[in-house]
Amino acid sequence: MSAYLISMGTYIGFFMILALALNLQWGITGMVNFGVAGFYALGAYASGLLTTKLGVPVGLAIPAACLVGMLVGGCVALLSMRLREDFLAIVTLGVGEVIRLIVLNEDRITEGPRGLRIEAQPFRDFVSAENYPLFYLFFVAVFVCLTFFVCERIRKSPMGRTLRAIREDDVVAGVLGKNVLRHRIQIFAVGTFFMGLAGALYAHYTQNISPEVFLPMVAMFIWMSVIVGGAGNNRGILIGAGAVMVFLEGTRFIGDFVDILDAEKMSALRIIMIGLLLIVTLRIRPRGLLPETKFQFKPN
Amino acid sequence: MKLSFTRRGLLAGSTAALVTPSILRAQPAEIAIGSLTPNTGGGGPFGPNITASHKRVVDAVNASGGVLDQQIRLFQENSETNPETAVRAADKLINVNQVLGIIGTWSSSVTLGIMPKCQSANVIQMCTSSSADIPVADKKGLVFNFQPLSPIWGRAIANLAKGRGIEKYAMMALNNDFTRSMMDGFIEVVGKDALVQEPFYYNAGQSSYRSEVTQLISQNPEAVFIPSYVADFTAVYKEIFRQGYEGTVITTSLSTGNQFKDAVGAAADGVIHGFPVPAINSPAYKEYLGEAGLEDTGSVQHPFGTAGRDQMSTLLLAIEKAGSTDRAAIAKAVWDVTTGEGKETVYNVADGLAALRAGKEINYSGASGSTEFDEEGMVLGRDFQLSEIKDGKDVVLERLEF
Repeated sequence: MSAYLISMGTYIGFFMILALALNLQWGITGMVNFGVAGFYALGAYASGLLTTKLGVPVGLAIPAACLVGMLVGGCVALLSMRLREDFLAIVTLGVGEVIRLIVLNEDRITEGPRGLRIEAQPFRDFVSAENYPLFYLFFVAVFVCLTFFVCERIRKSPMGRTLRAIREDDVVAGVLGKNVLRHRIQIFAVGTFFMGLAGALYAHYTQNISPEVFLPMVAMFIWMSVIVGGAGNNRGILIGAGAVMVFLEGTRFIGDFVDILDAEKMSALRIIMIGLLLIVTLRIRPRGLLPETKFQFKPN
Repeated sequence: MKLSFTRRGLLAGSTAALVTPSILRAQPAEIAIGSLTPNTGGGGPFGPNITASHKRVVDAVNASGGVLDQQIRLFQENSETNPETAVRAADKLINVNQVLGIIGTWSSSVTLGIMPKCQSANVIQMCTSSSADIPVADKKGLVFNFQPLSPIWGRAIANLAKGRGIEKYAMMALNNDFTRSMMDGFIEVVGKDALVQEPFYYNAGQSSYRSEVTQLISQNPEAVFIPSYVADFTAVYKEIFRQGYEGTVITTSLSTGNQFKDAVGAAADGVIHGFPVPAINSPAYKEYLGEAGLEDTGSVQHPFGTAGRDQMSTLLLAIEKAGSTDRAAIAKAVWDVTTGEGKETVYNVADGLAALRAGKEINYSGASGSTEFDEEGMVLGRDFQLSEIKDGKDVVLERLEF
């Protein structure tokens, strides 16, 4: 059981990084990004390909994957600078699918539908096989902490106030002299930087990635994490990512106790239960488990 | 409504969390086996049959006393035909349920996706996947594939098509490993000169396949070969029909099940399809029909359900043969109970267990066909059948017997 909890903890870590990144873009700045899975794939393939095809050490491949995510994210933000809300949502959804289809079809580089096997793992030679899953959990936890720290610093900084102003009404923010375009590009690029990081960490953990892993459903899970956790609140996001994984995985255990339903019906019931849990959670806590606190003016 | 956490609630929750693992794990007198089948997603039409077969074999063996005097505990999970979900499901099977084998995976990406975890935990895998990468990725000899690799499908369909005198082909395939490798096998047999244009790939889930189909039939080839799955082939075929193509359409039988026939109706007539089939005259296949409550129609039914029966039967016989739950010993025993000559042939797990207990050497001959494996754990051969849809029904044109 402990090995399973370690493994699930690691997956929750990937979800946390992705959800914190999305919270930065949407929860705080109001930029809708439905292409999360695409940027996740970008990081995974960038790091995986650098280590397997070019022999780049994993210690360099992971930062490189983050930079690739940031560059592509920055370009997407630049190209869609005049788009807001639903229009930006369509563009990012399209970008995510374009990335997945490139990975699927450029098989001479990415191995396409066969999937990419990745041998390299960080610090593999220094940790025994038995202890490696636990080590990797801590490794991912360090990056979750770093991501949280950066996101929280941004949220609390004057820039964070500007981002919230852009979220509420970008015209007003612009009239008040804030450079809305620059802030949007910056924050989108920072978000995709972290999505690239999550992808790279995932790739070196599972050691086998294929385009089927990065379907839009992954993006939906991350959106669920942000909404359930409480958009705009980084602490809530951490709880939301954990809660969604508990919903996804916890429902698996019902089948071990219930014999009256066959496996086919049980799996359908499981999907229904995940939906119901989400509905109940949001009914009880409409603004998420830990809603964003409103900033109040406190004169000295 | 306000959500509040009390110390009492926390204590109750923690106790439940600590107690739960012992319930979920197989108990000492049980042998845990995981079934990871595609009950939804691309493999949805086939997964439930595999799942049901696994359960039937386990129920029958448990009713007669189990294996090595232990009951079998079956843990069933849905892979959703998605490697991302499947890896997490495999994690649960390996680390919580502590299974010694995960059987029933169908899609190659799922089989390959869970392989690193299975290999590091020394868990046996049994699948019906077709990627040529499977034996390459299996470093420990723990993987057994109950389906021929897809290049073999391609070669067999090509041979049967050639035998019908077709000389010029155009091809397009769904972009996945299974269909791409099948196309390569097909070209190996017909030769590149038989192609009227470069083969190409299409992506699943497109809203329209008009441009792909227009390109496919632009040279008016004698036949088109389209390795695919049922969902995409149905959409592709509708477009082929709409554009008035009059040549022969060849595909895999996976694409032409009832879902396809219901969707296109009488327009399905004339489609030629092939795939590896159970040996329908074998005693094991007849027994399977009885177990599954099916009538013997003389045609192939439940091609993957039969494989599911064989996976579970083979694994249980290997456990009995190995005399322990040591995974390496069981993997070695798989060959002992399935492969080699001069042994007593058995067609079901009950007879196999009885023969093993009587000290005999056995060769399990399955409902899906021969279960003889090569040194890489890949099944050595299968009967192969080419059929044509006539009046909404499959009519067998030719059969290659292994």
